[in-house]
Amino acid sequence: MDLNQPTGENYANPKTCFFHVLFKAAALAFYILSALFFNSFVIIFVVTVILAALDFWVVKNVSGRILVGLRWWNEINDQGESVWKFECLDQESLARMNKKDSWLFWWTLYLAAVAWIFLGIFSLVRFQADYLLVVGVCLSLSIANIVGFTKCRKDAKKQIQAFASQTIATRFSSTLQSAFSVV
Amino acid sequence: MSHNDTVPLHPSSQSDIDEIENLINASVMSGPATVLPARPPSPPRASIPVSSSPFIASNIPPTYKKPPTVPVPPALPVQDPHLNSRQNIAASGFGSPVNTLTEPVWDTVKRDLSRIVSNLKLVVFPNPNREDPGKALRDWDLWGPFFFIVFLGLTLSWSASVKKSEVFAVAFALLAAGAIILTLNVLLLGGHIIFFQSLSLLGYCLFPLDIGALICMLKDNVIVKVIVVSVTLAWSSWAAYPFMSSAVNPRRKALALYPVLLMYVSVGFLIIAID
Repeated sequence: MDLNQPTGENYANPKTCFFHVLFKAAALAFYILSALFFNSFVIIFVVTVILAALDFWVVKNVSGRILVGLRWWNEINDQGESVWKFECLDQESLARMNKKDSWLFWWTLYLAAVAWIFLGIFSLVRFQADYLLVVGVCLSLSIANIVGFTKCRKDAKKQIQAFASQTIATRFSSTLQSAFSVV
Repeated sequence: MSHNDTVPLHPSSQSDIDEIENLINASVMSGPATVLPARPPSPPRASIPVSSSPFIASNIPPTYKKPPTVPVPPALPVQDPHLNSRQNIAASGFGSPVNTLTEPVWDTVKRDLSRIVSNLKLVVFPNPNREDPGKALRDWDLWGPFFFIVFLGLTLSWSASVKKSEVFAVAFALLAAGAIILTLNVLLLGGHIIFFQSLSLLGYCLFPLDIGALICMLKDNVIVKVIVVSVTLAWSSWAAYPFMSSAVNPRRKALALYPVLLMYVSVGFLIIAID
């Protein structure tokens, strides 16, 4: 659907998008194709899990920041309780975020998780417990990112609403002032 | 780089954008080295564009106190001088501190790596903070434990002459599930510990056993193995003891500690028995 955009908007950060997709696709492809080439489960496990972990790190620390301007992490405060923190860019930058970038970000995030669920179902049906372990690890990493960024986005939306109402109020008052000054 | 602005711009924003684009053009050549330094078969020149693109530093004041390594990129031999100057320009040009949303990728990598090292030093080596677990592993992370568990599994699998895959899968599942169950045990005993902090701790305490497994892989003598494993086992237990014991009621200390010791002893037996 993006091909029909009349303005010809391009990816603003092609390299980041590429890496965002690369590790997810590599983990899935390696897992699916490895059965043809490798007999050893250890290699499949280690490589797939390392690719999934790299993907988790890239999405959380790099592409989340650059493509959609969101970030989440966990901290332990002075009382010894764990606090989840969400951070987003200010509203002007968020509004200027490239639409194609964020489309790619969210869709690949969800599609990867769905793909792992399917692969998990396959290995469950075949009673392969060790492959289920691999799928379990990769799936939990994907879901952690999805949950973190979704919560972050909800936070950001609340702030957008607050900002929008504030902006409308200031613009209204400045318009009134300029109208009165002309008169 | 095309910006399709969906909001009408104030004149002041236009000059901001011009400034940003000048910075971007100035910094086009200065991408950071790699995404992760320790990644062997990686595509060359993983130069992800440094993130000073159309970002204005967030006007939400960061409500956290990160360790002081974050805000200003320290002088690294690898780090491009352009990055430093641009970072300073960004900080002074926009009039607000550079927070983690706009830091270069290399900074993030360095921060995470140094956190792993500092956590390791806190947990495994003697230091004055050991009596207060809340302070000690404040910046928990799961990367260190992940590396250690995978390393232990790989070492055991390498030492095994048959059934390598099963050994690895069993070792990984045992350690991961064991850490989760031990944490649940402490929580159910009414202890005050944070789930991820405890997982992180139990993972870091595997470091001595990793060393032991490595030595045992290299030297095949049974007596040497027993000695090495006992020493590293004692070291692991000593590392894990203060955190686990201070998290629970003193009368239930043994109930919390015994399963931890049991898990490490079983890993030790696994190391000795592998041949």
